[in-house]
Amino acid sequence: MDTIAAISTPPGRSAIGVIRLSGPESLNILRVLIGEEQFTPEPNRFVLKKIVRESGEALDYALAGYFQGPHSFTGEDMVEISCHGSPVILRQLLDLIQKLDARLAGPGEFTLRACKNGKMNLSQAEAIRDLINAQTDAAAVQAARQLRGELSTALQPAKESLIQIIVRLESALEFVEDDLPKIQVVETATQLSKVLTIIQELSSTYASGHLLREGLKVAIVGRPNVGKSSLFNRLLRLERAIVTEIAGTTRDSITESISLRGVPVSLTDTAGIRRAGDKIEEIGVERTHRAMADADLLVVVIDGSTELLPEDLAVLSQATKGRHLVAVNKCDLPRAIGLDHQLLDQSNVVHLSALTAEGLENLTTAILAPFGTVDSEDTGFLVTDSRHYDLLRRTQRSLEDSLLELTARASEELVLVGLHNALKFLGEITGETTTEDILSEIFSTFCIGK
Amino acid sequence: MVFDDAFDVIVIGGGHAGCEAASAAARLGAETALVTLNLDLVGQMSCNPAIGGIAKGHLVREIDALGGIMGRVADRTGIQFRLLNRSRGPAVQSPRAQADRGLYRREMRTTLESTGNLHLRQGMVIDLLVSKGKVVGVVMQDGRRMGAAAVVIAAGTFLNGLVHTGRRTYTAGRAGEPASIELAETLKRLGFPVGRLKTGTPPRLDGRTVNWDAFQSQDADERPVPFSFSTEMIEQPQIKCYVGYTTRSLHDAIRRNLHESPLYSGQIKGIGPRYCPSIEDKVVKFADKDRHQLFLEPEGHDTNEVYLNGFSTSLPAGMQQDLLRMIPGLEDVRIIRPGYAIEYDYVDPRELGPDLQCRRVAGLFHAGQVNGTTGYEEAACQGLLAGINAAALVKGRQPIRLRRDESYIGVLVDDLIKQGVDEPYRIFTSRAEYRLSLRYDNADERLRGYGRNLGLVGDSDWDRFHNRRERILRIKAALRGTRLRKCEAAYVALSEMVGLQFGDSISLEDLARRPEVTADMILRLLPGDTRGSISIGDLETALADNLYAGYITAQQAVLRRLNNNEATRIPPDLDFRAINGLSHEMVERLERNRPLTLGEARNIPGLTAAALSTLYVAASHSPGGI
Repeated sequence: MDTIAAISTPPGRSAIGVIRLSGPESLNILRVLIGEEQFTPEPNRFVLKKIVRESGEALDYALAGYFQGPHSFTGEDMVEISCHGSPVILRQLLDLIQKLDARLAGPGEFTLRACKNGKMNLSQAEAIRDLINAQTDAAAVQAARQLRGELSTALQPAKESLIQIIVRLESALEFVEDDLPKIQVVETATQLSKVLTIIQELSSTYASGHLLREGLKVAIVGRPNVGKSSLFNRLLRLERAIVTEIAGTTRDSITESISLRGVPVSLTDTAGIRRAGDKIEEIGVERTHRAMADADLLVVVIDGSTELLPEDLAVLSQATKGRHLVAVNKCDLPRAIGLDHQLLDQSNVVHLSALTAEGLENLTTAILAPFGTVDSEDTGFLVTDSRHYDLLRRTQRSLEDSLLELTARASEELVLVGLHNALKFLGEITGETTTEDILSEIFSTFCIGK
Repeated sequence: MVFDDAFDVIVIGGGHAGCEAASAAARLGAETALVTLNLDLVGQMSCNPAIGGIAKGHLVREIDALGGIMGRVADRTGIQFRLLNRSRGPAVQSPRAQADRGLYRREMRTTLESTGNLHLRQGMVIDLLVSKGKVVGVVMQDGRRMGAAAVVIAAGTFLNGLVHTGRRTYTAGRAGEPASIELAETLKRLGFPVGRLKTGTPPRLDGRTVNWDAFQSQDADERPVPFSFSTEMIEQPQIKCYVGYTTRSLHDAIRRNLHESPLYSGQIKGIGPRYCPSIEDKVVKFADKDRHQLFLEPEGHDTNEVYLNGFSTSLPAGMQQDLLRMIPGLEDVRIIRPGYAIEYDYVDPRELGPDLQCRRVAGLFHAGQVNGTTGYEEAACQGLLAGINAAALVKGRQPIRLRRDESYIGVLVDDLIKQGVDEPYRIFTSRAEYRLSLRYDNADERLRGYGRNLGLVGDSDWDRFHNRRERILRIKAALRGTRLRKCEAAYVALSEMVGLQFGDSISLEDLARRPEVTADMILRLLPGDTRGSISIGDLETALADNLYAGYITAQQAVLRRLNNNEATRIPPDLDFRAINGLSHEMVERLERNRPLTLGEARNIPGLTAAALSTLYVAASHSPGGI
């Protein structure tokens, strides 16, 4: 096994920049870098050291830490060096390291080594990817949970129970002449239903989990001059979009990422929809239509201080085809609008003022409501990965098939079809169960041997 | 090289693998010698006097469909036929028969002696003659050298066999027969990886000293289901077997004497089969069980010998009788032959290709226990395959290989050559992912064509197969075409029984899929003119095809999905050592198995998930991959 190295912080200037090494030569390389041949650091502690160039002059003063395998991230000997975050220094240091018997790590290679050395399983490796890409605190918490192997752990009781059922049915088939307990259909069906419940509960967390991971696309739409950009800026807590009293100020769609109660939201401000006055506006309106098509949720802004206009109704009639909310803006002004139009579903209406921020909390609640409650602190484990969700759904369907066969008193080999499929699907998340594993389980459970 | 005798194919061993191998090779036109230590013991059933059982019965049917001989011999000598799992689905039903041990042996000898090109030779092979990586013949203990272009080793437990009873051990291939020591050494010398396995056998009792009234009797089936597709009638008179139980006090006595058992003293190093544990193992590992089941199986029509199934033991021979006398009904029993354990050498079957030929030495085939399997049926099917392929090699024809989705033989061979063994390998239905397709009753549909093409299936059997196939098609058409209407009395009765309404009418095809509806019911519902010409066996096959069709289609879809990246190709020249992140051990396993797809790699035992992902990445990035 060779030694690999990489810059572990993002490119660009920053206060510090970290270089990681993993492999048997890690410590020796550090010794050369600091010019102390006999350096024997205490593992897991950082010390301040002068990094020297080949010429002997100082390159940087840096914190260096040594992690002794197998008690490290990759399970190998590792060194971490925190330098000052200059791209030039980091580059030079990495060049130096490459001359010293280490090579540049490939993408994901540190994690790959961790997998290989049994420090984590595939599902945990996927969690690392999520953790690194997490856009909000709540998403990071979920990824960290998966990293601790919580999905596998959550599935373990279901899997064990499933194996028990398979073992019982298989032994009844294979060892008909042995003196084995009879299959109790009702009892087995109850046990199978319990497995099914665990799988269902886990897969039903996907709506929330998916939201945490992928985020929600929200577009603010409406006729010109109802305050879309003001609301956009308010939600952003930033004067991002230009706001004037002139109708049609926003000519192009702007998208920004925000976090609403821990949920990553990609928020788009759009040009007001009306018959276009010029070529630029025409393109803007076309982009608005595209943003509307892409969004998970539309917030239709209408002006509460004037009457409902035909242009409002035009936007509303488009929006009601999908998931949408109606934000009645300018509630700081006297209300002039009538809200008993057939296109307005009262349960979808939120009154607010982009100017004073009144009603903004209600809007946030309404935005998140259709996607399940997501509370980063309290929720248990959530399924965030679409691959996991797909496998859980398949598991669920296979188990349902088996339960039907079982209650129709079909022969065991037919009940087992779904059970084996379910086990294979679960195995893609938690690791495989082979025929040998099942047979071993049979032989340790029952005394076989006519 | 000068030989005293020359053949095309030499088969070493006259057990169940050897008999099939020699018969097949000879019938395929190869001059074949069957060399065995004692010609009077050809086809000997060394352990229990029975053929078949769940999955094993499937194997016998497959052997028969391909044109092998085990099924016919068993049908002529079977004295208690039973179809197991009769109450379950047809895919997991399987025929089993107890055979008259002496009759079976004589019938097998007669069958071999009436085969052209087949030459029986008595003697012990002590060495293989290998020239330029190819086998060219064998050397006998008496100095004779016999030439052959292909050699099948089917030596059973004889390779370095060591019998244990209590603390005593002696070299033997079976009780009373010499072990084959030199041949075992030859295999090691040729570089084959050799391991050690163990098996055991129970004592045989004198039937005149058994109080039969103390046991429950078990009858043969009224309508015996034969093993061979060619058998019309089972002619042997059928006998009863008897079931009894051990007692707690017997268990205590065995536990007190465990120090006398070579299994527990550490004297036996070989690994025994977990599904055929000795009585010592049963009382230790399942100490909370009050009783263990025993079967008393008479060994034949004209012998007093009784096989005590379930009481395999290696406790001292002198102690066995006293222990048995603690069993109700065996108070005065006398033992004719004591039980014993035997350790023997096997060769890692990962040395073999799918044709059962060794990669290390061309022309050398291994079949049966030498490959780490256990069971007569497991041995016989390997013997058949090895015999066919040995003849093919000699005659310059293509070898045959059987797939997992078309036969249990394919499952068994694939498991052996890809995964190796770490205990004696027995077939189970759960080893077959295509279990629903691999039925005992459709083995002809699956394999008769191969047998015919090879030349092992004669005209009359081929005609018989065609006729049966046509009859089944006619039945299927009748099932589809016959509808049961709401106004009919049978509709009402059935709908009440099932607890469902079937609409205005229901076809017999759909009705038959209900678990409550039996073949007999369907037979009575068929129109009178069809009914008369239908045999229940043909009807059952038609109904089984009908029952499983939907499941098989759905299952194929699932397997395809799961095998999605199984098909990822691994370039044959991929240098595993050059892949970063593969440990030395993983590299070794990969190099030994040389998987060509990710699916094959996944089947290598001991290959970690991490190594698989690493391999996947490496394979996808290499030019020949994916």
